[in-house]
Amino acid sequence: MTGASFLQVQGASRHFGGLRAVDAVSFDVAPGEIVSIIGPNGAGKTTLFNLLTGQLPPSSGKILFRGQDIGPLRPNERARLGFGRTFQISQTLTSLSVLENGMVGAFLHHRSLPAAAARAAEALELVGLAKRAGHRAGDLTLGERRRLEVARALAMEPQIVLLDEVMAGLNQTEVQDIIEMVHTLNAGGVAFLVIEHNLKVVRAFSRRVIVMNRGKLLREGSAEDVLSDPEVIEAYVGKRRA
Amino acid sequence: MSNREQRLAWRKTGGVKTLRHELPVTFGALAALGALVAAMSGDSFTLNILASTFLFAGLATAWNVIGGLGGQFSLGHSVFFAIGAFTVSNLYLGLQVSPWLALLPAALLSAVLGVLISWPVFRLRGPFFAIATMAMTEVLLSLSLYFDRFTGGSRGVSIPFRAGLQNMIFRDRLSYALLMLGFLAVCLVVMAAVTRSRLGYSLQAVRDNEDAAAAAGIDVLRTKLAGMAISAALTGMGGVLYIMYVRVADPPTLFSLFDIGVKMALIALIGGIGTIYGPMLGALLIIPLESWLRAELGGSIPGANLIVLGFILMLTALFLRRGIVGGLKRLWSRPGAAKGAGR
Repeated sequence: MTGASFLQVQGASRHFGGLRAVDAVSFDVAPGEIVSIIGPNGAGKTTLFNLLTGQLPPSSGKILFRGQDIGPLRPNERARLGFGRTFQISQTLTSLSVLENGMVGAFLHHRSLPAAAARAAEALELVGLAKRAGHRAGDLTLGERRRLEVARALAMEPQIVLLDEVMAGLNQTEVQDIIEMVHTLNAGGVAFLVIEHNLKVVRAFSRRVIVMNRGKLLREGSAEDVLSDPEVIEAYVGKRRA
Repeated sequence: MSNREQRLAWRKTGGVKTLRHELPVTFGALAALGALVAAMSGDSFTLNILASTFLFAGLATAWNVIGGLGGQFSLGHSVFFAIGAFTVSNLYLGLQVSPWLALLPAALLSAVLGVLISWPVFRLRGPFFAIATMAMTEVLLSLSLYFDRFTGGSRGVSIPFRAGLQNMIFRDRLSYALLMLGFLAVCLVVMAAVTRSRLGYSLQAVRDNEDAAAAAGIDVLRTKLAGMAISAALTGMGGVLYIMYVRVADPPTLFSLFDIGVKMALIALIGGIGTIYGPMLGALLIIPLESWLRAELGGSIPGANLIVLGFILMLTALFLRRGIVGGLKRLWSRPGAAKGAGR
């Protein structure tokens, strides 16, 4: 399998005391693939993201990126390998300008200020924030902040981007813009791992969907198959009464 | 991306200030201060005040590298100040090394010590970091009193008056004012260079949000340590100049939490934390005012000068949260609308 050499999650687990937030989860992501992760609240999706980006060390299990075990690497080292991410609760650098937020990401591969600024400007263009470049990031609306986080991740020229509920709080147009942006970048070879509640978005994005429930990987398959699976529906809305 | 495309994309963003755009402003400010010194060249009372103003302007600028840009609110910078002072006193008195040459080892030693003592402390965030740096000051003060072979213990060190350029000891006050202006120049240029660099943006990213900074590929600890090393090195150089200026100093004075450590932070805070010129403006306001108050009020109502300074700090905290520079910027961008906007 060619995807095996890109991102492999092998039995990754994370326990908080007795709580198994992520419990022996295994899956692969192929280069240039878009994989959606869905699941009810508290299923362990964000914890899984934190294991992948290094914010949390796994309790057990392995995460391989291009064959290398990245388990011991810190977040900044994984960023250098090509991981970009957004946070569920947006983490913009509020005292810097919108452009400078992008530059902070662009500095990963560009030393000089003008080069980083140019790269950041491109990323802002992609997410539709170019007009706001000179504003302070702290003055942005919630939707703009989410897009700015995406821009910062893109400015890092990543190989895989992890989007954590990036659509939450965005309006229809903004959602559509981000879907288009993801497809554009994906066509350029960037892989995406997306936590998303909006099933319309999931269908628009993914050939492949992973469902998590109570820390475990419940189902994995095409969007159509997974979303019509009774067990998945049950995890979301509870057991159907006869 | 080609150069032309890069320039185009850059122009669309309104441009980002690089060091090349910054330096004319820096040197302009320094030239203005130089002119001030020249105008006062006959008045040794004023020259004395200018000398200590420039010294503290430089120190506050040095503090600002890690305290303002990096957001690591150190109250322990007197440690580096004292290290610099004792490095030169030992090298000059013990080994007859010229203080000019001692600037380099003083800066290096301060930087190394800055890295070593901040390493464990940088795990702490916010107020906990500030408290730990205060504790560090007390520990190092006690150590310095114990190792009296290097520090003179509680008697301190005194440097005999042997005027001469190579000894960094001068008969006239004008030379000291120019010496301190030179120190301020070094600090300002370093601060400008750091601010307009990748390190400067990394420090600001770490200050705003450590998790986001790390996710963007920034090594948070290394960034903080680099900022601290630069800040400590400059502060150590300040210590060298200070002791060669006053020529008598004991550890409690040099390690003073309030007269050095807190004062550096306070001046930066009043002037505009994290900005290039804020700490300089803060010192230009505070130090002459403080000397004047001490002269006018210190005799009749002891401590009154401190009350006035405390009052200024309160006013700054209430009405100019971004310091003098923040207030000026607001006036500049929205004339007329500035009233009460910072509350």
